[in-house]
Amino acid sequence: MDAATNALTGQGISLSFGGIKVLKGLDVTFRAGEITGLIGPNGAGKTSLFNCLTGAYSPQEGQIAYAGQSLDGLSPAARAGKGIVRSFQHVALSLDLTVLENVMIGVARNHHAGWLNAFLPLPRGRAERAEMERAAMGALTDLGLADAAHSLPDALPPGMLRLVEIARAIVGKPDVLLLDEPAAGLNNSETRDLMQTLRKLRSGGLVMVVVEHDMDLVMSICDRIYVMNFGEFVACGTADEVRRDPDVIRIYLGSDDD
Amino acid sequence: MSDQNVSLPLSPVDQAGWRSLISAQVGTWLLIAVALCLPLVVAGSWVFALGICFANAIGVLSVSVLVRYGGEVSIGHTFFSAVGAYTVAILDTRFGIPLWLSVPPALALGVVAGILFAWPSRRLSGIYLAVSTLALALAVPEIINNADGLTGGYEGLYVSEPLVPGVKMSLQRYYAALAVLLAVTYGLARLRRSRQGLALLLSKSHPAAADAFGARQVWARVAVMGISGGIAALCGAMLAFAGSTVSPSGFTFWAAIFLLVGSVVSVYGLTFPRALIGGAFLTLIPQFLSASGAWIPVLYGVALLGVILAGHYLPRLTQAMGRRKGGA
Ligand SMILES: Nc1ncnc2c1ncn2[C@@H]1O[C@H](COP(=O)(O)OP(=O)(O)O)[C@@H](O)[C@H]1O
Ligand SMILES: [Mg+2]
Repeated sequence: MDAATNALTGQGISLSFGGIKVLKGLDVTFRAGEITGLIGPNGAGKTSLFNCLTGAYSPQEGQIAYAGQSLDGLSPAARAGKGIVRSFQHVALSLDLTVLENVMIGVARNHHAGWLNAFLPLPRGRAERAEMERAAMGALTDLGLADAAHSLPDALPPGMLRLVEIARAIVGKPDVLLLDEPAAGLNNSETRDLMQTLRKLRSGGLVMVVVEHDMDLVMSICDRIYVMNFGEFVACGTADEVRRDPDVIRIYLGSDDD
Repeated sequence: MSDQNVSLPLSPVDQAGWRSLISAQVGTWLLIAVALCLPLVVAGSWVFALGICFANAIGVLSVSVLVRYGGEVSIGHTFFSAVGAYTVAILDTRFGIPLWLSVPPALALGVVAGILFAWPSRRLSGIYLAVSTLALALAVPEIINNADGLTGGYEGLYVSEPLVPGVKMSLQRYYAALAVLLAVTYGLARLRRSRQGLALLLSKSHPAAADAFGARQVWARVAVMGISGGIAALCGAMLAFAGSTVSPSGFTFWAAIFLLVGSVVSVYGLTFPRALIGGAFLTLIPQFLSASGAWIPVLYGVALLGVILAGHYLPRLTQAMGRRKGGA
């Protein structure tokens, strides 16, 4: 009941760039309390769908709603305010900020100290910084990154930066969490830790969608999987259903090696 | 994995970082102490020049903050410093209002001017934004001369109201400029740690990511220009007070260019020592060069070119050298 009402839904989402159709009338329901996988070959349109959901792209057709409320016309910042948060396929961290500070940005939307606090040592601004630091440190610790908190991003290997990107997305206790290739560049043990973390995050209220190439990860943590190709869904179902689907086998056969 | 998690929060690298931070802070405090004592030991003309230097350093910071937090350059910041300077000068000469009452409106007007400029130019960046700031710089002397009833035209205005009655005016000029410079560097140090500062820095390099976490690009641009305009207005206010005269010759196109050059010389630093380097460049180099008569423009041109080239290539050079050292 609750899961259905808090779903993130898209109806007839169509997106094209200069006449090239990238998304072709997609209907989706991402339910709360489930981890939904979104898989498909490169260029299938997975990131573009995320961009439509977060408001970075405006689809030419279709409606997007969260918990029954339309999101159409809302800016990415406004959607972030509604608790819709994403991670980026290409890690997007500021090299001027420490790892901890980059993650702190993930909780910024929950804080509202005014501009005077930014320049003067006022109690509200100090408390805000301390609270943001504490939350960010917690997320980093969960992902095994506590030691790197005070490093600058360019001192860290790509796998760790990927985890920092994810820490920033999960730290703000989002209602909708869209992860774009969260395991790209991770080694086996990092991937295992990540799976652990994502499983722990699954809760009644959270809509979680994971775009991922790592089939083991997707098959083992996702309750439901959408398979995408050329801007369309070719299959949708549980891991077992999807694994047996002839269209999915055709798409993935022979592309195992990339 | 787990034993790493419970280790000390500071790795050896971080400890070295803290050590260099602390030694840098000691250097800054020493420099502040020297600045506080200097008027007791140096000649009056130097005290005057240093007051101007502090005011110029504030102007350098206004450009550097735009570079650091907005990723943009301006060649028109004399517009905002003129706003601050004339606010102080007009309030002083017309209404006899002393500095401590005229600085807040000067700051506010600078912020407003920055925001008003940011809004129409919010979609511009890089060279396009720089050129639109250039238009501001070119307009300033014209505006001042046209409003000569208020601004005194070419003649300018003379700022004479003391800040603290009874204290020697030359000392007031020096210490007021120093105090405002210190306040600005302190405020900027706090901004770096604030929620807004973090969001601005992310927005500079990854606007889409900042957007996805609630910091709109337009907000970032307007905020940075407001901050930068406000600081530039403080520069103008202190130039007016420390220099005692305000006239259009202080706010020419060249003055705007020099602000940018000063910012490059200080490697866009936002700390007190770095700002001083930029301010000293703006203030003292012309004085040294003026001793060389007809060669001034040539020497200044060469100095400018050298500085810009150094600013452009030095970071890459040091990076390349660091890489070689790291590889060895
Ligand atoms: N901003 C854009 N402009 C033009 N084409 C785009 C843009 N974004 C995505 N595309 C195109 O949309 C298609 C799907 O891309 P993408 O969503 O990144 O795929 P995926 O994430 O599944 O690999 C690709 O052909 C890509 O070139
Ligand atoms: Mg993608």
